[in-house]
Amino acid sequence: MNKYTVINPHEPFRVLNTHVHNIDGIAKVTGRATYTFDVKLPGMLYGKILRSPYPHAKIIKIDASKALALPGVLAVVNGKDDTLGIKQGIWRRYNDLCDEQVLPVDKVRYIGEPVAAVAAVTEEIAEKALDLIDVEYEELPATFEPLDAIKKDAPEIHEGFERNINVTRHIEWGEVEEAFEEAEYIREDWFKCGGQAHMCMETRAAVASYTPDGKMTVWTSTQSAYYHQALLAGVLGLREGNVRVLAPYVGGGFGGKFELDGAQFCACILSMKVRKPVKIIFTREEDFIASKRRTPMFYYTRTGVKKDGTFCAREAKVFTNGGAYTGMGATALYLTGFFHSFPYRWKGYRYDGYRVYTNTLPSTSMRGFGAPQAMWCSEQQIEWIAADLGLDPIEMRRKNSHHEGYVVPGQATIASCGIDQCYDEIKTWIKSKGKLPKNRSIGLSACGFMSGGIFNWFDTPYSFSSAVVTVNNDGTVELHVGAQDIGQGSNTTMAIICAEALGVKIEDVKVHSGDTDHCPADLGAWGSRQTLMTGNAVKMASEDAKKQLLEFAYAQSGLNIVYDLDIKEGWVHAIARPERGETFEALVKRATRGKDGQRIVGRGYYTPHRKGMISPAYSYMLQGVEVEIDDETGKIKLIDSMTAHDCGQPINHLGLIGQLEGAFSMAAGYGYLEYMPFEDGKMMNPNLVDYKMVRSTDMPPANIAEIDTYEPEGPYGAKEAGEGLTNPTAAAIGNAIYHRFGIQMKECPVRPEMIVNALKEKAAAEKEGKKK
Amino acid sequence: MEKKLITLTVNDIEYELYINPKTLLVEAIRDHIGLTGTKRGCETVSCGACTVMIDDMAIKSCSVLAVQAEGRRIITAEGLEKNGVLAPIQKAFLDEGSYQCGFCTSGMLMSSEAFLRETKNPTEEQMKEAIEGNICRCTGYNSIVRAIAAVAKGKYAEVKS
Amino acid sequence: MIHDFTYLKPGSVKEALAMLADHADECKVICGGQSLLIVMRQGLVAVDYLIDLKGLNELSYIKYDDKEGLKLGATTTHRIIEKSNVVKKNYPVLTAMEEKLASIQVRNWGTIGGNLAHADAAGDPAPVLISLGAKVKLGSKKGDRVMSLEEFYTDLFETAMEHDEIVLEVQVPPAPPKTGSAYQKFNLIENDQGIVAVAATVTADKGGVCTDAKIVLGNAGVTPIRAKSAEKVLIGKKLTDKLFAEAGEAAAGDADPVSDIHSSADFRRHLIKVLTKRMVKKAWDQATKG
Repeated sequence: MNKYTVINPHEPFRVLNTHVHNIDGIAKVTGRATYTFDVKLPGMLYGKILRSPYPHAKIIKIDASKALALPGVLAVVNGKDDTLGIKQGIWRRYNDLCDEQVLPVDKVRYIGEPVAAVAAVTEEIAEKALDLIDVEYEELPATFEPLDAIKKDAPEIHEGFERNINVTRHIEWGEVEEAFEEAEYIREDWFKCGGQAHMCMETRAAVASYTPDGKMTVWTSTQSAYYHQALLAGVLGLREGNVRVLAPYVGGGFGGKFELDGAQFCACILSMKVRKPVKIIFTREEDFIASKRRTPMFYYTRTGVKKDGTFCAREAKVFTNGGAYTGMGATALYLTGFFHSFPYRWKGYRYDGYRVYTNTLPSTSMRGFGAPQAMWCSEQQIEWIAADLGLDPIEMRRKNSHHEGYVVPGQATIASCGIDQCYDEIKTWIKSKGKLPKNRSIGLSACGFMSGGIFNWFDTPYSFSSAVVTVNNDGTVELHVGAQDIGQGSNTTMAIICAEALGVKIEDVKVHSGDTDHCPADLGAWGSRQTLMTGNAVKMASEDAKKQLLEFAYAQSGLNIVYDLDIKEGWVHAIARPERGETFEALVKRATRGKDGQRIVGRGYYTPHRKGMISPAYSYMLQGVEVEIDDETGKIKLIDSMTAHDCGQPINHLGLIGQLEGAFSMAAGYGYLEYMPFEDGKMMNPNLVDYKMVRSTDMPPANIAEIDTYEPEGPYGAKEAGEGLTNPTAAAIGNAIYHRFGIQMKECPVRPEMIVNALKEKAAAEKEGKKK
Repeated sequence: MEKKLITLTVNDIEYELYINPKTLLVEAIRDHIGLTGTKRGCETVSCGACTVMIDDMAIKSCSVLAVQAEGRRIITAEGLEKNGVLAPIQKAFLDEGSYQCGFCTSGMLMSSEAFLRETKNPTEEQMKEAIEGNICRCTGYNSIVRAIAAVAKGKYAEVKS
Repeated sequence: MIHDFTYLKPGSVKEALAMLADHADECKVICGGQSLLIVMRQGLVAVDYLIDLKGLNELSYIKYDDKEGLKLGATTTHRIIEKSNVVKKNYPVLTAMEEKLASIQVRNWGTIGGNLAHADAAGDPAPVLISLGAKVKLGSKKGDRVMSLEEFYTDLFETAMEHDEIVLEVQVPPAPPKTGSAYQKFNLIENDQGIVAVAATVTADKGGVCTDAKIVLGNAGVTPIRAKSAEKVLIGKKLTDKLFAEAGEAAAGDADPVSDIHSSADFRRHLIKVLTKRMVKKAWDQATKG
């Protein structure tokens, strides 16, 4: 049902890009895998969080006496009495962006914000106790939309932030006004991009255990054990080394689990009070209303091109609904502006982004990180421009696209780029479909994405990624990484790279991750960074170990200097005479003895240096989606899709297909299903009955044509594959709607009522036009 | 309220439980018996992470009272393997990469297994419908359907010499 | 959290009805619990006694004969109805409706009696059964009574049942010759509950004139709604595309839909217009073929 085609066959790697099983498979398919959700410790208590019912209010008084009197309740905590009141944020380098107390002291800024937390012997008692906590609030006027919140008389949400403008970002290159003057056709459009819930199958979860020796151990569903170690140490007033964060298996992250959340913070505070383990698991409803969401955005974009379709200039102004706190919103604000230019060359480009505080659920990173929103606007407008000018939309895109060696002025150097072949692949796919049935149409979207960011707003002193390879006497290998497997398969990807680089079988590699006591620091799983960055660290560590081992092989071999040795699939041999050699195990035994009984240890690390303003490498793709739309009801059905994709050298074959198909389902949801309305700051559908998502019967085939390129910065030429794929689909669906009906959908997610209304308006306008 | 003494047969093992009758089957399995393979992902019988088999039927254990399951044959993900030998559907999941974070996987396996036990020569549409009650945020479902299809086609049938 | 209750498990219908009479206001009946447990968890239903009918196999049956029509026992699961050859042969619209109801898991444990008693305005079976002229048999310690399913629904999540009554059986009359039935709900994703739904049953005479029409709107009001003005458009006429469309317009007027996050009331009316037109046509094509 799926087609997987490789365009340029790669080198015959032994492990890389072969059909290896995900190494966590046995645990996951036999019910053995335990998640934070499953953690149970001796003497463990259950925590529940009391949340603000108001979007904006002062906390006057909290009286927990009745709750504390309830049998089985051991502690109630609040921000003022039980925390250091530290304002934290993940952008640690910038004080003013550290604006969130998690358990606030003075006031609440969104419905659902934690106000107090209870620890009790059972979950049920903890829940009953919440009803017994009396909180006196003084309601404050609230504001919910960014375009309202920036008005002069809007209520001030954070002291000192005029007009509620939280962050601004500016990206510019070329002579923009001049470039617009060169343009022969200019188009401007306003768009509205919705929010989206991460909707991880495992909700936010933490078990915290503070012991009398001043040590804090936290099991949590996280995308970065290191980030949580550092963030918790910071807010709890502990030394980082006294905080141990463990990630059992993690049930999804998608960008929502690398910031400090209420489950982690409140579990820690409670545990510090009672010196017992405390477990907090968000209900699904809590997960919807109290964990940050994808950033909704208002987009204005003005684009100037020549009549032959050459792109000249673009100017974009974006207002994002930041919600009550910054979170990762500053990065989303920046990246949306950068990827709004992708994958095209602009003579002049200007982006101004404004992140606005509102009294709603804070917005943050979510898979795609501002790029799905950027493409919703850019790729549709580009399609309309092609139509306005009577140009082929694929060829117009092609002639303006990035290419290898292109420098995005002041921003990035494109060292590998396969977008041109992507256009050919999609053209072939469209041609193969022939004439479509009359209720179907195809929409396209191009895009690109980063492979990890160069930024250190977290202010870490450590390498962005590190790896340690230790070789046991029996030839098995311990690989310690800080990269976090959240389902994307990074454990497997790192094992593959290690096995390939060291020359062993993948079954011989054991991956250790998700434990700050034993694993090196790593920024974790976000921004599509791990394959490139941790992958480089793993390759380096593996090659280090291999070199140390081969020293003993060379010493023994007596080979002429012009010959060299290699290790492949556990066989140490001269490359010129592969049939002569010894087993990896035999070499290891000798080497270990040679090192005084010490195991061979290889170290590797990676931090991007001087790699532009955003990322060391970029993936590219063009996606086509075939859509069927009922012209009377507006109901959308996805029929088929093809993604031509350049991620450099694919590493994890099954992982890549999984990332494509999974990203597609999430991205399609953003395009036509995952409506997340708020009314006066309240989320109207915080449950899985009313929040709609793609299910098995809605998912079309997700075919992939993998374009082989080689990215010099990536391990074996690899780039990201997983987040970029979330970028194009909403726009592709929008373009399918456009090609079917000629209506331009400015708002996503697109719902049937919107299509029917647009068709009615169009019919009315045509009628008016005929009259004249 | 009177606690009830019941016997639940889970993965062919009898467990005696003394529970509050409002205990859901998923709670009995996870918290009382201690088998944590079965998960929970919602409060509205929507996500399917809690799916188990009761008398060979795929059922969401979050919306069954434990007391109602007495006398029935309950199978969870942990019960699919026999003496360390994986069931065909488990092997298929490994081969097709039909899981990523794995949180929905136990439920998916049970829905798939129940479907395969009752449907021979299924169509693709039927296979998709088999897991329609299970949400997966990671895989996009197609790899799970491929695994079901492989088992249905007999790829993992035991070869009798 | 679910309110603590005393669990009662009757071994027979007679025992169940006696328990119900004893506990009246303080108790609730559970069977499949696919809807009830959700509202109990939310605290919307809190009772001291829960009477479990799930084990009452004497109420799990499907009976059919050409004279009496179809009889479904209240504790028959949706899945059994879905897989029944007897149902498929004689009332294929019921099979089609069951195939799209919730999920396989819910259908494996949830029952037809429980579904109807829950009185969810977005429920699938009620509009279809009403359009087929179905009745419900209710039982209490005092005795049984039969009423039309149409009259069974009084308000949102409310039925005409007394506190001591349960649904015993659903009775569907045999379809007159040249009768067709169709049902469709409108949703964004397959198998989801309907934003609105339309069930249509029409009967033709030998001359090709429509002698009866029952059009029932689902989730277009607090209870299923008989779109009587739409039926008036059709009865006594030879049906054409123009009349199907007119029936649709009339049905939209009969509806009393709400506006919510899924749809405005206007759009619900629009959908009813379209679905009625389509379902009447589909039912008519079935009725008049061959």
